[in-house]
Amino acid sequence: MKFLDQLFEQRSRQLAQHSSRRGMLKGLGALLVGGASIPLLPVARAAAQSPGRPVEEGDPSSCDYWRYCAIDGFLCDCCGGTANTCPPGTEMSPVTWIGTCHNPADGRNYVISYNDCCGKSSCGACLCMRDEGDRPIYRPDKTNDINWCLGTSSAAYHCSTAIVVGLAFEE
Amino acid sequence: MKPGLLLALLLCWSLPSLATTGNSGRVVFDYQMNCQGCHTPDGSGAGSVPRMKGHVGIFLQSQEGREYLVRVPGSATSALNDERLAAVLNWILTEFSGDSMNSPFKAFSAEEVGRLRQSPLKEVEQYRLKVLRDLSSMSMNE
Repeated sequence: MKFLDQLFEQRSRQLAQHSSRRGMLKGLGALLVGGASIPLLPVARAAAQSPGRPVEEGDPSSCDYWRYCAIDGFLCDCCGGTANTCPPGTEMSPVTWIGTCHNPADGRNYVISYNDCCGKSSCGACLCMRDEGDRPIYRPDKTNDINWCLGTSSAAYHCSTAIVVGLAFEE
Repeated sequence: MKPGLLLALLLCWSLPSLATTGNSGRVVFDYQMNCQGCHTPDGSGAGSVPRMKGHVGIFLQSQEGREYLVRVPGSATSALNDERLAAVLNWILTEFSGDSMNSPFKAFSAEEVGRLRQSPLKEVEQYRLKVLRDLSSMSMNE
């Protein structure tokens, strides 16, 4: 125990001789200011803008909206829902068809899931048929010509959403 | 602040963004584009789409089961090449198996996938049922 006492005493004295309270405050201040400035760096800004957070421009009730590049159906945004949500009284299909769309606002490609809203008859408003990347029905996972109300309690199609799943992988 | 400390902090900060690029980014993208539409983001499935989450590892317990994962039409006839299909299958197995994988994981190689996908299954449900029945009787006999 005496050895430990001597060791701590020695170290404490060394610390007191070689450092100052101002020095400690200086170091602490530098750490706080430096830490706070890290989110301003380009690396941090790029990370903050990754998947699910595209720069949004355009009108989600228009067929020209960037996320609708492969849509074939009625826009939920015109039917009491939004580009991300189903109108009240309908159920979102968990089974969906997926493609990619280019977002001109940030110049990046995103994976888009066209989840249909089901359980009511066709909405009838804002019919859009852009069909980019649509494939014949013999590629069932890449065709939008089938009713995607699968896995829902009702197969009645009402409208389509266009949900951003993530950033597309670029080779 | 010392330059070394600043460098270390910068490195820590940028690691997560670096990690999302490279092969892990590609395999997740391939799953999203080729599987997720039916199997859902977390492999839960829906309706008649089988649940992979917590179950898919069972198929590795027999050779027929292992082959099933490649010969099922969604795998065998996908637009992915052998290397990328093997990567997606391995990712699915490590990501979704949970407790269902009770033996050491032997990853699929591009060569194995390329060979097995030459014979896509025609009667998928019957084959799957047989595989699961055989596995069930194997476990009862043990």
